[in-house]
Amino acid sequence: MKEYQKRYIDNIKQITALADIPGGVPSDAEPFLKERTAKRRQLAALVRENTELLRRELFPVLDDIISMPRDEIDELAEFAVSLTPGARQLDIFLNYTIHNALIVYARHWKLRDMLIRELYYAAMALFYQQSLIDIVARNRYRWSMRMLFGEAASYIKVYDDISDPEIRGFIHRSMGNLALGYTNDTEDSNRRKMDAIRQSLRILNDPVYHEKTPSLPWSTYIYKSHQERTTSLAFLRAGNTDPVSIREVMESAEYIWNRQLENSRRTGRPVSNRWHLTYHVAQYHCGIHTLSQLLTCMEEIYMQRDVTDFTLEGIYGSIFIPCMYAEYLSGNSLLREAKKEVLGHMYRMMLQYVRSVPADQISTSLIRNLMNVFETFIEYPDGIKQKDLLLQLVICRNPGTFLYLYMTACVSRMLTERVLKEEPAFLLGVLDCGSLEQVTASSDILTQFAYESGLFHDIGQLNFTQMTTMAARNWFREEKDLYQLHTRVGEIILARCESTRLYADTAAGHHRHYDGRGGYPAAYSREGKPNQPITDIVSLAAFFVRLLDNNVDYTREPLTLPQAMERVRQESGTRLAPALVRIFGGMETQLQEYLDGCKEEACRKASGLANTL
Amino acid sequence: MHNKEYAAKAWNSAALPVIVLEKNGGVYVPFYQNDAAAALCPCGFLTDCMPDKLAQAILSGRNLSGQDDASLFFHTETAVYYVVTFAWEDCRVCMLTDVSSYYKSHQKALNEAIMASQAKTSFLSEMSHDIRTPMGAIIGMTDIALMQEQIPPRVRECLNKIKVASGHLMSLLNEVLDMSRIESGRILIQEEDTDIADLLHEVLTVANPQAEAARLHFSVNLGRMAEERILADSVRLKQICLNLLSNAIKFTPEGGSVTMDLEITPADSRGRVHLKLQVKDTGIGMSPEFLQKVFVPFEREEKSTVNKIQGTGLGMAITKNLVDLMGGQITVASKVQEGTCFQVDIPFVPGQNDRDIYRNVLKGRHILLFDGDEAQSAGIIEMLRNVDLAVDWARNAEQTVDFINEMAFSDEEYFAMLTTERAEDVEMLLFLPQIRQRMGADFPIFLLSEHDWSQLEYVYTQAGVTSFIPLPLFSTRLCAGLYAYTREGQEEERQNSENQNQDFHGKRILLAEDNEINREIAMELLGMMNLQIDTVENGRLAVDRFRETSPDYYDMILMDIQMPVMNGLDAARAIRSLPCSDARDIPIVAMTANAFVEDVKNSMDAGMNAHIAKPLDMNQVYATLEMFLGKGNR
Repeated sequence: MKEYQKRYIDNIKQITALADIPGGVPSDAEPFLKERTAKRRQLAALVRENTELLRRELFPVLDDIISMPRDEIDELAEFAVSLTPGARQLDIFLNYTIHNALIVYARHWKLRDMLIRELYYAAMALFYQQSLIDIVARNRYRWSMRMLFGEAASYIKVYDDISDPEIRGFIHRSMGNLALGYTNDTEDSNRRKMDAIRQSLRILNDPVYHEKTPSLPWSTYIYKSHQERTTSLAFLRAGNTDPVSIREVMESAEYIWNRQLENSRRTGRPVSNRWHLTYHVAQYHCGIHTLSQLLTCMEEIYMQRDVTDFTLEGIYGSIFIPCMYAEYLSGNSLLREAKKEVLGHMYRMMLQYVRSVPADQISTSLIRNLMNVFETFIEYPDGIKQKDLLLQLVICRNPGTFLYLYMTACVSRMLTERVLKEEPAFLLGVLDCGSLEQVTASSDILTQFAYESGLFHDIGQLNFTQMTTMAARNWFREEKDLYQLHTRVGEIILARCESTRLYADTAAGHHRHYDGRGGYPAAYSREGKPNQPITDIVSLAAFFVRLLDNNVDYTREPLTLPQAMERVRQESGTRLAPALVRIFGGMETQLQEYLDGCKEEACRKASGLANTL
Repeated sequence: MHNKEYAAKAWNSAALPVIVLEKNGGVYVPFYQNDAAAALCPCGFLTDCMPDKLAQAILSGRNLSGQDDASLFFHTETAVYYVVTFAWEDCRVCMLTDVSSYYKSHQKALNEAIMASQAKTSFLSEMSHDIRTPMGAIIGMTDIALMQEQIPPRVRECLNKIKVASGHLMSLLNEVLDMSRIESGRILIQEEDTDIADLLHEVLTVANPQAEAARLHFSVNLGRMAEERILADSVRLKQICLNLLSNAIKFTPEGGSVTMDLEITPADSRGRVHLKLQVKDTGIGMSPEFLQKVFVPFEREEKSTVNKIQGTGLGMAITKNLVDLMGGQITVASKVQEGTCFQVDIPFVPGQNDRDIYRNVLKGRHILLFDGDEAQSAGIIEMLRNVDLAVDWARNAEQTVDFINEMAFSDEEYFAMLTTERAEDVEMLLFLPQIRQRMGADFPIFLLSEHDWSQLEYVYTQAGVTSFIPLPLFSTRLCAGLYAYTREGQEEERQNSENQNQDFHGKRILLAEDNEINREIAMELLGMMNLQIDTVENGRLAVDRFRETSPDYYDMILMDIQMPVMNGLDAARAIRSLPCSDARDIPIVAMTANAFVEDVKNSMDAGMNAHIAKPLDMNQVYATLEMFLGKGNR
């Protein structure tokens, strides 16, 4: 690799180390904040350096990729691969950008083998990008993945002309991974996924191919195809009863189970929890187990998990099993009640596990599974509340975001108090307050509502933890677009549960401008939202706090209070509600007093909240 | 059923003499006459016994007006008959009424009235013509001025307004002129092989902006297109469509809708297909009283909403006459404040059909169609299957990718992809480049769109689209588009392009034109094609200049017709009679606003080779130059 490429990767490693949070916020705020400031400075410097490295060294190459000498291309390919070591993704968007450029190069010079390899890698990069946003945009990259995997796999037609076994391997892997381009959401997609796997397995099991390329790890390929087929359990879990899917999933679960047993006998190591459970889940869907038996199996397997294992297997045990457990419970009211304590325990343990994950082990899989918790969360009236779990997760994994949320919440509360004094009519309609008398009588409730809306408005950021805490460089346009989906993620999560439902609209609309012309998401409408005044309050508070302490972009210099007040004034009538800006303009002294110790207060709050579940 | 027996059944019992005529090419020929008619002309059809001019007028298929040289009256030794002709299904009927006693008592007054009417028509015709000539100069000079660079905004605004106003005035003049031509029987239907797709495209090019400017919902629904090429007078057919559409657009308030339904029915027992056109609007409608007079010249309904709208009141009269001339029928239904619906039915002989040529080449090829519109897709799929193409229909991007992958695993390959602009699940401008990358640079991707290609071309070709096929879709367009990317089609294209050369560098033209402004316009347009141009101001000078130059000095002569000293026709005759070696061969092209059929004929009779109408149309000028000076002719 070239020097700048090595440097870039070293910088990412440093960024990851700097972003490491020891699972929470200490009660002594001062050293924590000092360290945070110092780290952010270093992070900003590294981000700037990486951005400059790419701008100076890489982008000119990508601009003129066709005329690059072959050795430079090889170095570039090596650099791209090193951006995704093992199952980790140091910089998945850059990884895709480079592989995509290499595809252009390979196409131009008609380098078939290189093209096959790069198509595979680019498709894999898209798979990881897709994983980032699965909760909110299930198909954003899937058709592109299928396009790339499909093209690579189509070279099976000239298999005999390809002599390099590694390239033949990419063809088989692409064919197998074509299934990744489908979801289990719909019958049609699931059917196509099953078709793709069937086609792949047919070739993988064909002895003619084994004979042609004996050096390929055939059994691994076959095993992985069966693994992928078991993901259709999600399709069955959603209540679908397609007999072909059931049979094939069962077949794959059986295959994997047998291989696991065989492996366990050979190595003396226990069977993987994941595949153990998959086997039982498949049996349930085939009518062999009852739901009660399945839940018992899950509990047994859950108890065998390794809480120090942060690989996929560990994540599966500590995070995915509780999700699946909740999902199966959700359809059965009797069992849901009976298993309340078990599920509560699983949630607490999950939280502990997440607290203990080192930063360099945080992966898209971890985040995806974490979001799965909120997609399946069961909130009992007297049990753990989603709002509490959410806050705990933010505090332990992303305390910087907690500081920002807490400050936004406090400023929202202060502003609401002032609105109640100066222009209570602004809050008419909020929480069904139909008259000024009702607004005044509900002032405490309204103030608390504004505070909590501020606290949860940006909860969708959790989904983008990697992107926000470990950004290797300035974002690409694509990353910015994806990040903007955090409003929708927040809305989805908050709307699911009773304890957070009221804050969903604010999560959805806090980046949409008051005049409806700017910001995002474009589809957000103020119409028919009686609590919109609270969203307007939170939007202003959040905008103001970001000017003083941006929790996403470390490279942005914080403004002073007067500068921030001026910026707020400039946005009156466009981004922000003019009535609020006017009232806010009279709060400068109060804000100054608040800002003097706000971060310390936020740390104390975080420390106090931590470990309360 | 339109045979002799059928006609006899309908007309045999009529006491009045009746002849029934059927269309044959551009003229009508009698195929039946009843006994009363036979009694007047026992040796043949009654038209054989009539004066030539009256017979020709009847055979031309037009409604007799009495304002041309042909009288409305047919005199026998004992009686005077009043002759009327009218459309009957897709035939025409000529009926004679005995007006002997009336004629004798009113002959003088009648003759005076006919002469007055002829004088009026002649006056209108000449006036219109005299105004049209300078209008040509105004329009032409305005176009040239607008083509200049760095025009001050205010001047550009003024020029644009002149262009719009003069265009409007020109169309009014054309209508007056048309009506007077119709009344004087000088419009002849000139049938030629006409592509309905081209015709519709031209109609929509005019109507779409009009509807858009009027803020109306305008839609076109294509019914069954049993044939897409017919033998028709495309100019006049277009005029019928545009008159109906312009009328609908004019009389429909903002927010309303105008719909046009077009269908070509399969051939009837006489081998005629029927063009069925319906133009329906939700406009102000017409009163029952006015509905009776809607096709009468210069009639406009007297109400405030109508008075605000410009017009001569000639449009519908012209339309009706043109439909009659084509042997068709037009009907109208209307309700005040609800809207109006015109329906036209015209029989045509089917034109040349290229479907078999396309089918032979395209047969069995595989097309990927990406279109989320189910109804539209069904039509496209039917068209493709009619020429034996295999089609995979993807409703969204997901399915498109799956089809591509499935095809890649098979032993076949897609020949081309057809796609629309919109997709429910993907941003097309992001999706198409991926398709282009995957399928390679040579894979044809066609965009199907109802929008103007010039507005889309840049972004969509950047995104990987190869070519464009306009919607509404016609089978011939679709097949021709696909055919162009076959080996056979490309070979044809290569041969065609070899024959083309747009640059006339080194060619020398003699331009005879007396009007200075017209000369300037012609010089400007011709200069753009790198021609060397010499000018003279009348026919005599043109003859002298040609005689004085060495043989083959000029490659072509452009000749105005109406010039002082010697007109263009005489000049052409004089040149052809010169003893020079190239006098008989040099192309002489008439350049005149006199665009009547007989003017063209006169030009040809005078020895000219072609005719370009004024105001000069760049495309027509180019096509004519290409015809005589193009590579194949040097």
